[in-house]
Amino acid sequence: MPASADLKASLLEERRAAALEVYEREPVPTWRRSGFWTTSLKKLRLDELEPRRYEPVDSLEGLHPVVAEAIGEPSELGGLLVQRGASTVLSWIEPELAAQGVVLTSLERAVTAHRELVERWYMKRLSEDAGKFAAATAAFWTGGAFVSVPRGVKVEKPLQIVYLIDEPGVAQYAHTLGVVGELAECRIREYDLAPDFEGQALHSGAFELYCGAGSQVKLAHFQDWGAGEVHDISTKKVEIARDALCAWTPIHLGGHLTKQRLDIITAETGSDMRHRGIYFTEGTEHLDLFTTDLKEQHHTNGDTVWKGALTGSSRASYEGLIEIVRGAQESHTYLQTHSMLLSPKAKADAIPSLIVETDNVSASHGGTVGELDDESIFYMQTRGLSRAQAVRILVEGYFEEVVQALDDPSLEDLVRRTIATKLEAAEDQVVEFIAERG
Amino acid sequence: MSLEIQNLHVQIETGEEILHGVDLRVAKGETHALMGPNGSGKSTLANTIMGNPSYEITEGSIVLNGEDLTEADPDVRARAGIFMAFQYPATIPGVSVANFLRMAVNAGREEAIKVKEFGQLLRKNMDMLRIDPQITKRYLNEGFSGGEKKRAEILQLAMLRPEIAVLDETDSGLDVDALRIVSEGVNQLRGPDLGALIITHYTRILSYIRPEFVHIMLDGRIVREGGAELADQLEAEGYEGVRAEVAASAG
Repeated sequence: MPASADLKASLLEERRAAALEVYEREPVPTWRRSGFWTTSLKKLRLDELEPRRYEPVDSLEGLHPVVAEAIGEPSELGGLLVQRGASTVLSWIEPELAAQGVVLTSLERAVTAHRELVERWYMKRLSEDAGKFAAATAAFWTGGAFVSVPRGVKVEKPLQIVYLIDEPGVAQYAHTLGVVGELAECRIREYDLAPDFEGQALHSGAFELYCGAGSQVKLAHFQDWGAGEVHDISTKKVEIARDALCAWTPIHLGGHLTKQRLDIITAETGSDMRHRGIYFTEGTEHLDLFTTDLKEQHHTNGDTVWKGALTGSSRASYEGLIEIVRGAQESHTYLQTHSMLLSPKAKADAIPSLIVETDNVSASHGGTVGELDDESIFYMQTRGLSRAQAVRILVEGYFEEVVQALDDPSLEDLVRRTIATKLEAAEDQVVEFIAERG
Repeated sequence: MSLEIQNLHVQIETGEEILHGVDLRVAKGETHALMGPNGSGKSTLANTIMGNPSYEITEGSIVLNGEDLTEADPDVRARAGIFMAFQYPATIPGVSVANFLRMAVNAGREEAIKVKEFGQLLRKNMDMLRIDPQITKRYLNEGFSGGEKKRAEILQLAMLRPEIAVLDETDSGLDVDALRIVSEGVNQLRGPDLGALIITHYTRILSYIRPEFVHIMLDGRIVREGGAELADQLEAEGYEGVRAEVAASAG
């Protein structure tokens, strides 16, 4: 069917062309919400950034060590794909998995190698007409990641995707498409990494994952863009089909400016999700997260817990919406968000909200912004622990519930390590804050 | 070797004075009971001994073995050898009992305790307090019953082996069985190396843990002191009897 294949390929090109039109039409946005909250890109010098190309490498040793440090032992992975800047520089999958039809490759390559799957799922839930950066990603993405687990296949080892920005001046337009077949089981990780550098960079990302009927998927995002001025403007969508369960844990541990929308759609009867998130902001970082728990069919479930902590003069806003549409009766879902202020100059927003268009559902939500509890610190000090130790133990303990939900020892270790490093860096100011507050 | 409290005046954040000059000496090897009705200042004294920043010492001193701890941070006092079992211990989410105990034990040591030695010590003390070993995996005090919390406090006392232990209303909220187990645990820890100050509203715990010295506190002052027989007298007359007697002798 060469004629129809050509037609489909051109459909993909048509979407790029449509996206380009939107990109050229749309202004650079400023996101405003009531109160003090504004996410502005006025300091981003977009014209000075370019989608830089790089040569492929044979192993992690050819890349900045920040990648090897984050992903640990490569033999513990089922497959690995690394995109540096605009180029896929490393991609492999275990032969046994490949033999079962499991795919981890660049999206660019998948467009021809797995044409039918890509045509069927590509941008099913994403739109190129959702602002300048969604359009930019849809128009300009190169490399990209495609992960596919066929029907009934169980993959124990993580399928690992890495987006790396290792120098200033880079614009990275990233698109990940994941398709998990019926009754399949797998673990997918996407890490967004940068070493500390001086200067600006952009990660404009799109992520979409479709969890087939009866599948069980563990999905983790780990973001640490380092101390450089990396701007991350991304949209991530996860669709869960009938009787499937997806546990999605995004971890945000660094980024100069992050504006992300994360949607989880329990799209068919019996679909279920567990959403656990962490953020830790420091210095002058600005984090603006919006998540949606969208219930489209009856008898769907959900459970969301987000926890954050802030040091320095950082800003973090988490807005979580539960939306239960008409026809999604007998759905049950919960959302909690907590933010902990560890500095007098930090500002946090925790905004849970609810739209329910049907009856016979249960949905509850709650949000808190708080500080470390003085009585808990005193209690720990009476056991001989210094105030600094008490603070560290309390903050790490606060995150532990979410860290354990990862159910992934090497990633748990990475998260604990990164949080510990950030806490250590902020130790003096946190202890001073606690002391002065009393 | 002793804890010496002299002329202690303490006020809370509103500026109200709660303790109006308390003198108390607890030596190693002794067991003291501090008794008083609600609001008499017992818990204020316990918290002040431990250095709770919510209480301000305006006059007087707290000295342990000759070292003045009046201004010391709580962790310094703890490492010097003072322990307090809380009436309402804090919940520490995300930190398992075992993990917390190990960190607390290590805080008082130069060199970290060996894993095996810690395990043995923990098992021995949990056996003594008849604590379900499963509890060590749970987060400290999260979802614990009142009795479990109190037992976890005494477990910490047993693990940390302080010189002076203040037990703030350890008996409150315990049923008879739990009270007996906790009391037996405290009795096993008594000896020449431990000075204990048992703070209580009721005489009930004192039939399990027999003190050598009893102090009665009313309105922020210690008004009566004596031996174990003073507790028996209190049992018979109640705080109102003591109050009337004090008023009469003052008048």
